[in-house]
Amino acid sequence: MHAVARDNGPVAPGPGSLETLLERVSRGDQQAFDSVYTAVAGSVLGLAHRVLRDPAQSEEVTQEVLIEVWRSAARFDAGRGSAMAWIMTLAHRRAVDRVRSAQASADREQRAAARDHSPAFDEVSEQVERRLEREQVRRCLGQLTELQRESVNLAYYRGYTYRETADVLGTALGTVKTRLRDGLIRLRDCLGVTS
Amino acid sequence: MNDSADLHTLTGAYALDALSPAEAAEFARHLAECPACSQEVRELRETATRLAFAVAQVPPPGLRDRVMWSLPEVRQLPPLVVEPVVVPLRGPRWRQRLPYLAAAACLAIAAGAGVWAVQAQRDADRARDGNIQAEQRASDLETLMAAPDATLRTGSMRGGGGATVVSSQRLGRTAFVYHDLPPLGTARVYQLWYSQNGSMIPAGLVTPGRTDGAQLLAGGPRGADAVGVTVEPSGGSPTPSGPPVMVVPIPS
Repeated sequence: MHAVARDNGPVAPGPGSLETLLERVSRGDQQAFDSVYTAVAGSVLGLAHRVLRDPAQSEEVTQEVLIEVWRSAARFDAGRGSAMAWIMTLAHRRAVDRVRSAQASADREQRAAARDHSPAFDEVSEQVERRLEREQVRRCLGQLTELQRESVNLAYYRGYTYRETADVLGTALGTVKTRLRDGLIRLRDCLGVTS
Repeated sequence: MNDSADLHTLTGAYALDALSPAEAAEFARHLAECPACSQEVRELRETATRLAFAVAQVPPPGLRDRVMWSLPEVRQLPPLVVEPVVVPLRGPRWRQRLPYLAAAACLAIAAGAGVWAVQAQRDADRARDGNIQAEQRASDLETLMAAPDATLRTGSMRGGGGATVVSSQRLGRTAFVYHDLPPLGTARVYQLWYSQNGSMIPAGLVTPGRTDGAQLLAGGPRGADAVGVTVEPSGGSPTPSGPPVMVVPIPS
């Protein structure tokens, strides 16, 4: 994953890019899928865990998302966005679907106490990258107004609808809609996201 | 809701999956007719993806196997010929890239990290042969990286090369991840120091002859405002014998 990212930088999909890997996966290439797993599993799991809180459910969702990637790799369309965004959208939706079901919300608070797994030994370098990513995101989140930041946090990391977000924040619906949008736009500019 | 300007403000909520199913479906129909909205949703989704990287975790060891084992039983779908209504994100083909290392600032540390990984792997191999020390060291590095308060600061070395200093006040540990250090020959070494109120406290030597690697500093970062590097005679010195070739501030 790092080798790919370092060597390629912001250029067209190379032989090791996630887009190319997905194309191979769509033809049943399990080795390519293994590389996809390496590139995305940590983010999928982390996001699911953030939304669901429950480690067991987070793992289930991660497994579901990855299998969904295997199943529908042929339906990924590079014209619509990056492979990473496609996978993370699948992951977020699935986590959010779960959290919005009553069953999950009852369970997750009870089971939230379980601890994370300790990192595997050969993942140290990935952690450096994650840490950098985290620092950058944290810095950029810090540049949002409080209302923007809280709205984005509640919607993305907790899976709230914008109505729930407005309710929790005691803010008008229209304001939350606008804050979600201009907050993300500010984040996009701060993070240098292009598409 | 039917007003198009009003609909347009929903790009953020849509990208964050914060609409009800009915609203999402309505907005998806709108997207099909609004290239500007589609473009914005793509960018905001890309941005949300970065929020996901920021909370990445190391998956438990068994997960990969569980996923891989289940693949042979999962039938893969053929490509879609007809566009579904739920994902009508059309638009110009846009630049592809791996977004997770987009920041150019990451390059230096990524290089260092790669070396760290290689070195850690070597250490792991040695650990398997019974070198408990290496195992312990790698485990310390790993714990440091996972610390919630760990900070990273990157600096470049006068004369070439660079390094990132990872420190955690909570753990009281600091690591020095370096790459491309100019070789010094056998008579001299790079020495690490904590800088504290203007005085330099010895914090260990970079393994002689090594240009890329990672190591934990002797002692903790408490009270220190920076990590400095000097060139010293082989074996190191009790106080710096010259000006530092690199100083990396650390948050206190």
